Amino acid sequence: MGNRRGWGLRAFAARVLGLLGYRKSESDFDEEVHEHLQLLVDRFVAQGMSREDAGAAARRQFGNTTLLQEDRRELRTLVSVEDLGRDLRYALRSLRRSPAFTAVAIATLGLGIGASTAIFSVVDNVLLEPFPWKDAGHMVVLQIHDTARGQEDGRQGYTSNEFLEFAEQNHVFDDVIGASEDLVLYKHGEGVEAFDGAHITPGTFEFFGMPALYGRVLQPADYRGDAPPVFVLRYKTWMQRFNGDPRVLNNTFILSGTARTLVGIMPPRFGWFDAEVYIPEAPLHGVATGFAGTTAQWFLLGKLKPGVSKAQAAADATVIANHLAKLNPQDYPAHFQVLVKHLGDSVVGRIEPTLYTILAAVGLLLLIGCGNVANLLLARATSRQKEFALRAVMGAGRARLVRLLLIESLVLAISGAALGVSMAWGGLKSIVAALPPDVIPAESVIELNPQVMAFTFVVSVLTAVIFGLAPALQATRRDLNDPLRDSGKGVIGGFRIGRMRDAVVVMEVAVSLTLLVGAGLVMRSFVALRELHLGLQADHVLQALLPLPENRYKTAAQVSRFFQPLVARLKALPGVVDATESSALPPYGGEDSRIEISGRSHQDEWHALFQGISEGYFRVLRIPFKSGRAFSDAEVTDARKLAVVNETFVSTYLHAENPVGQRVKLIQLETLADPARDPWFEIVGVVGDVTNQYSFGSAQGLQAPIAPAVWVPYTVARSEVQVLMVRSQQTPMALMNDVRQAVWATDSSVALAFPGALEDRINERLYAGPRFAFLLMAIFGCLGLTLVTIGVYSVLAYATARKTHEIGIRMALGAERADVLRSVIRAGLRLVTVGVGIGLIVSLLLGRAIEAELSRSVKPYDPATLAGTTLLLVVTGALACWIPARRAARVDPMVALRYE
Amino acid sequence: MTEAKKSEVLQGTLDLMILKTLHALGSQHGFGIARRIEQVSRDVLQLNEGTVYTSLLRLLQQKWIAAEWGTSENNRKAKFYSITARGEKQLAVETENWERISGVVGRVLELEGER
Repeated sequence: MGNRRGWGLRAFAARVLGLLGYRKSESDFDEEVHEHLQLLVDRFVAQGMSREDAGAAARRQFGNTTLLQEDRRELRTLVSVEDLGRDLRYALRSLRRSPAFTAVAIATLGLGIGASTAIFSVVDNVLLEPFPWKDAGHMVVLQIHDTARGQEDGRQGYTSNEFLEFAEQNHVFDDVIGASEDLVLYKHGEGVEAFDGAHITPGTFEFFGMPALYGRVLQPADYRGDAPPVFVLRYKTWMQRFNGDPRVLNNTFILSGTARTLVGIMPPRFGWFDAEVYIPEAPLHGVATGFAGTTAQWFLLGKLKPGVSKAQAAADATVIANHLAKLNPQDYPAHFQVLVKHLGDSVVGRIEPTLYTILAAVGLLLLIGCGNVANLLLARATSRQKEFALRAVMGAGRARLVRLLLIESLVLAISGAALGVSMAWGGLKSIVAALPPDVIPAESVIELNPQVMAFTFVVSVLTAVIFGLAPALQATRRDLNDPLRDSGKGVIGGFRIGRMRDAVVVMEVAVSLTLLVGAGLVMRSFVALRELHLGLQADHVLQALLPLPENRYKTAAQVSRFFQPLVARLKALPGVVDATESSALPPYGGEDSRIEISGRSHQDEWHALFQGISEGYFRVLRIPFKSGRAFSDAEVTDARKLAVVNETFVSTYLHAENPVGQRVKLIQLETLADPARDPWFEIVGVVGDVTNQYSFGSAQGLQAPIAPAVWVPYTVARSEVQVLMVRSQQTPMALMNDVRQAVWATDSSVALAFPGALEDRINERLYAGPRFAFLLMAIFGCLGLTLVTIGVYSVLAYATARKTHEIGIRMALGAERADVLRSVIRAGLRLVTVGVGIGLIVSLLLGRAIEAELSRSVKPYDPATLAGTTLLLVVTGALACWIPARRAARVDPMVALRYE
Repeated sequence: MTEAKKSEVLQGTLDLMILKTLHALGSQHGFGIARRIEQVSRDVLQLNEGTVYTSLLRLLQQKWIAAEWGTSENNRKAKFYSITARGEKQLAVETENWERISGVVGRVLELEGER
């Protein structure tokens, strides 16, 4: 009856239940045994034995009760440790006996598991659990979305009044905090450094539930008017700028002209608002200005009350926003909607689709890897059928055999997982390095954590069970006698490989084509992106932010008194080609403003991006003029109200009329702290379009349509930020020191903040996201191709090896080598072709899913990509067939026939 | 055949014998099953009667037999086992299996003998 100690489902259930009723059943059993012994004694006594002898005889006949107890215990426990150990030893031994199989299987699984573990780590740490805070899921931001604009996005900075209105009038938040950006100038003995600072509202640290690592967090008392000025430092900055020296605590620093005491250092995973220093400040009613005299922008974060949905919150906030829009119509679009977004979405929204695309690719890779292993296991199981039959005859039950095979595949899967985890551990560092900047929350730490390990464990066990069980069941289903009779080399006819192995190969080919097509599309779209012209030449340009001390640079005139001598000084430096001031850095197009054009009436609102520049701007960036001219030095100095516009501006608003001489009004300039009166500008020139609607991390930046843009002399109105751009002859960073000296020679209290090469910055901003996708998809595509090649090869190699005898007969009967070669290749290519067909259909269906990821010039059914990947796969497949086919054709009939 | 030369019960065959016994005799307690096997085997098999209970537990777990408490002939409390419908089916399958296997083993042994 075979050994029924196996893993029957019912026995398994009984064991689980048995665990519960253990005691009761043991006492029942004792009673039963006692009864049985009693009956035996009675019987022996009746046969004439003495009571004593009868007792001994009964015990002898019944057998060892202790052993019995052990047997029963083993039956009742889930796994017998002893059996498991034996199976494990056996599995290890048999895997060691076929090292090639074991190595390929483990490597294949390791690749799949490693890649998916690494990507899942990124997804988990960036998308699923980026924040170390308890209620992160309830933390939401509010955005004012202009419904006339396409993207689901909007303004999320609010004036003090707006912030207080939202914070006080809402019914949906437990708590509301705010943060406002502030560039902090830290003055020390050697010079001035810039920090990313944040003004934060009372209760911020309580909101997050984050205590300080050293010292203390900000307290309500720190917000009082007479409180001594203090600040809190971010861990990363503490490590980088102060080498993690705890003695800086309680020291006083001159920050933006105020002596502030460092009272606390936050733990590593606190990165709220991505700031480096946290300064206490509460928004006040009626105080509307902040940094550089511009409108203070408070970023608002609310914690939803339990049970309140985002939709309810949006409805509640809309009431408040409508009220605010009535008070300040100029700050609100004509038609708007309040968006409520989770904190994580507001940061990672744009990289999310990329990450999920890559995760899907990795899933496909894992599937191919599993297919390979399943096929290897199937092939192996088939050649071991005689062994199994023998075992079955010797009394091993089917369940026992299945368990043995499962343990073998578990051993493979766990070794694969171990390899995978180590690969993921190494690969993760490269992935983090390749991640585009600013698209992941500052708090997220990308690492292998328990969740990720659990994921890996589940994936590998599932792999083992699913892909080990099918071969195991198939191998053990066969009749006991057949395999014993079958020599394994008999003539079964043609090159039919097991149907299940066929199916797996077809699946693998289909999946890998899908993966390759996806990778091909992403790669093509990256190439297309690189070919897009930005409209400017970013090479050899050094750029830096120049934060001017607010107290001495309040007006445009004061700003220009700093920049005019500075630009003149820079131009005189050896190695400098040209230099310019500007109020925005490419690829940003500057600030948005409503505009009017003289003599034109219109219903809808007209908008344009604008920035202030000095005379050298278009030369530094090599932006070509289409008509008209640039400003002269004198015109800039005199703050003449002149404008240069881009081609899109002309085609959008002037209907290709001659733009030179027309007048445009930048309404935004009237609302500044130092407003420009009557901001009408006469257009003097038109330049070529330059990419200007940058958005984080996505390909959208370059794909977004170019917005109408206006450039005006920077001397007309003081802008929020001042940027310096210098075109050099050599590498721009070589100029750094000279430029810094020139800045300090002009004003020693001005810092050169965030200096860098413009080209690097643009690459980082515009291409890092697509490049990230490109790199990973390329790697995974190649891995997939390699795996599927191994898959096709191993199946065919196995099939031909098994048919050596048959091939020998055929050749002895007159078959040519070419015939053999052809028939093997045909058998393999048939599978590849079917797989490719299915893969193409799947790719076309799935193509839509990644359409948003692609650059607009690349369609998801891009014929070149489809044709190219199909060709690549078929050629690789043919190659994989060719090697075993050649081996088959080389068979010497005499040897093959003797080889029995 | 002397007492010392009794064969050990082949592992796994005891389950089959018990199923068959319950099939033939209906509800039985452990002692009764042991007596029946002893009687049928005519002292060829060396049976540790305790192993009957291990076998019974195994069969119970597969739900091939059922058990309930009852009273034995001499009015003592005893557990009675009976074969289930599932057990009947299994018995048929295993009987066929056994016949085939013993056939194979028989043939193998004959082959050995020819050498």
